Amino acid sequence: MHLLVQDLVNGILAGGILAVVAVGFSLVWGIMNIINLAHGAFIMLGAYTTYQLTKSFGLDPFLTLPISFVVLFVLGYLIQRLLINRVARAPILITFLFTFGLSLLLVNIALLIWTGDTRGVTTWYSGSNFTILDVTVPWIKLYTLAAALLITALLQVWLTRSRTGRAIQATSMDIGAAQLTGVRVREIYAIVFGLGAGLAGIAGTLISMSYAMTPNMGDPFLIKGFVVCVLGGLGSVQGALIGGIAYGIIEAFATQFNGTIFGQQISGSGLQDAIALIVLLVILIVRPTGIAGRATA
Amino acid sequence: MKLRLTAALSAVALCTTLAAPVAPVDAAGDTIVFGSPVSLTGSLTKEGHLTQEGYEVWKDYVNSHGGIKVGAKSYKVDIKYYDDESKNDTSAQLAERLIDQDHVNFLLGPYGSGTSFTVAGIAERKKIPMVEGNGAAERIFNQGFKYTFGVLSPAKRYLEGILDMAHSQKPAAQTVAITAASDAFSQEVAQGAAAWANAHGMKVVYNNKYPDTATDVSSLVSALKATNPDVILNAGHLQDALLVQKALRDQNVTAKAYGYSVGPDTPDFASTLGKDANDVFGGAQWSESVKYNGQPGFYRTAGEYARVIDQRYHHHADYHNAESTAACLAFQYALQRAGSLDPEKVRDALAKLDVTTFYGILKFDSRGLNVYKPMVVNQIQDSKLVTVWPKFTANAKPVYPTPPWGQRK
Repeated sequence: MHLLVQDLVNGILAGGILAVVAVGFSLVWGIMNIINLAHGAFIMLGAYTTYQLTKSFGLDPFLTLPISFVVLFVLGYLIQRLLINRVARAPILITFLFTFGLSLLLVNIALLIWTGDTRGVTTWYSGSNFTILDVTVPWIKLYTLAAALLITALLQVWLTRSRTGRAIQATSMDIGAAQLTGVRVREIYAIVFGLGAGLAGIAGTLISMSYAMTPNMGDPFLIKGFVVCVLGGLGSVQGALIGGIAYGIIEAFATQFNGTIFGQQISGSGLQDAIALIVLLVILIVRPTGIAGRATA
Repeated sequence: MKLRLTAALSAVALCTTLAAPVAPVDAAGDTIVFGSPVSLTGSLTKEGHLTQEGYEVWKDYVNSHGGIKVGAKSYKVDIKYYDDESKNDTSAQLAERLIDQDHVNFLLGPYGSGTSFTVAGIAERKKIPMVEGNGAAERIFNQGFKYTFGVLSPAKRYLEGILDMAHSQKPAAQTVAITAASDAFSQEVAQGAAAWANAHGMKVVYNNKYPDTATDVSSLVSALKATNPDVILNAGHLQDALLVQKALRDQNVTAKAYGYSVGPDTPDFASTLGKDANDVFGGAQWSESVKYNGQPGFYRTAGEYARVIDQRYHHHADYHNAESTAACLAFQYALQRAGSLDPEKVRDALAKLDVTTFYGILKFDSRGLNVYKPMVVNQIQDSKLVTVWPKFTANAKPVYPTPPWGQRK
């Protein structure tokens, strides 16, 4: 019994990070209809930003969160303004190829700057933990979850209350109508892409504390982010949060599944990816818009 | 999912363009040209570069000492590299290109079991001998291939030494928990460890795998913790070792010994984990303290070799360096014995090879696998890597049982 509770806790803790990974990806996809394959590379850059700041200036990694956000926001904004705007209305395959190429470029630049060495961010509180009712909770992961919840909440408030946030929503609902009411779509797109990149940067900072970094570290997160955002529902902040935590919990429980099917020993842990994808498939059949997604016209 | 995306993007075409040749090499005349597709980018970048360093150190030694004498003539050596991006299929395509378009004489292996496996298939088809120092999965050698030789001790033996050590200490370890990544190499390592434990009266209380793309192993570690094992082993690569060790620390899992197939030997392990890396055991193909006295023709001792790596690359000699150099040495001695550059004759000379080098014995069984060399066990003590097992080659005593978290130094 206590193992199940521990798994639930592990799943929620891991899911918080996945939610932040997915939320930026989901916004860009949902609002701009661009599947940004460079999202993993943005995450990686966020992680290295934190690494560099903690190493050079001794900053606490959590204090680097806003810096990672700003650095990646500016990068994303410029990339959208200068490059993607030229292909934004092109068929999806073009933006696909474009972001894939961008990802290769960024990874290779990181390789030149930081080499392929594996690195990590270690703080004085790394590894410290507390136990309640036999369930162990590492502090750093709890802080990470708290940061993830705070950031998604702020984002949600900003999107629904601020003028720019509402313009973003309007653009995603009906681009023509938004333009008629004076929304500058190009500007909105640049902000959204910057926001997506900035959120990836935040995810990278949070990941850097629990996962070792190399220039290729973004790949598995890109794939998980993809699944989470389909699971939760495209373009929605709550969707990413629910999807991320659901994914984390599914993976955690899958780990404990061990059984024999047709005489074959099955390790749920070895198949956790497959199990998560099966759940995704079921969700897509039952609720094609994702758990929190709304049907669009 | 990843594969499908990649395919949709015609990534292969892109990758091949990116992996364009660096500089043309002279494939004829007085130079023997080796070719190697190696992981210069991708998930195994770090190890790929260590591999390349191992090859380069050998090349420079040979070229500055008059080359290799084959028959009556001395040849310089050159090595042509392509970046396989740590991808199995790309590695095989590049091996084909090295043979067909660049006309290399022989192949030096890529980094990793997956890539070595696909490249071995090409070597076999083209009848070009390959010696590899970085693919330890026995699957490579169970295909009946005649042209592939591996200088490594096989994957199954990676964690045996750690179990042997823990089992013969006081208090002797009785139970073991094994976690393994899902790739071929890690699975064989885990099977070997479980088999050794069962054969020596130890009990395997937990044995599970996880996907090699895992980004979180907390739940695996929670399940493992519930079995309260004496020894915790992980079969995987550097990223796995870091992930598992962090999760063990996060959940305060205590055991008498912690062992990893790959990780503790790489300086990144200690630099990433800090004090939490201390007292961890790692299985290793080689360490700076092994006491072999090699034949003339190259640096003869591990100490000499380590000094050269340090001078040239400014880091401790890693076993990935040494095993890569050893692959070159197998070619060097086989070429001298064959007295010819003919691929068939060199293959036969490799099959009959029996030499001792700074790295240990180079001798292959009928499958081309070096089953004659024992593994060593290293431990990180006070942030330094020392060799603790087997006793005849150890330069320190194992710290056992491992002190609780927070008290390790």
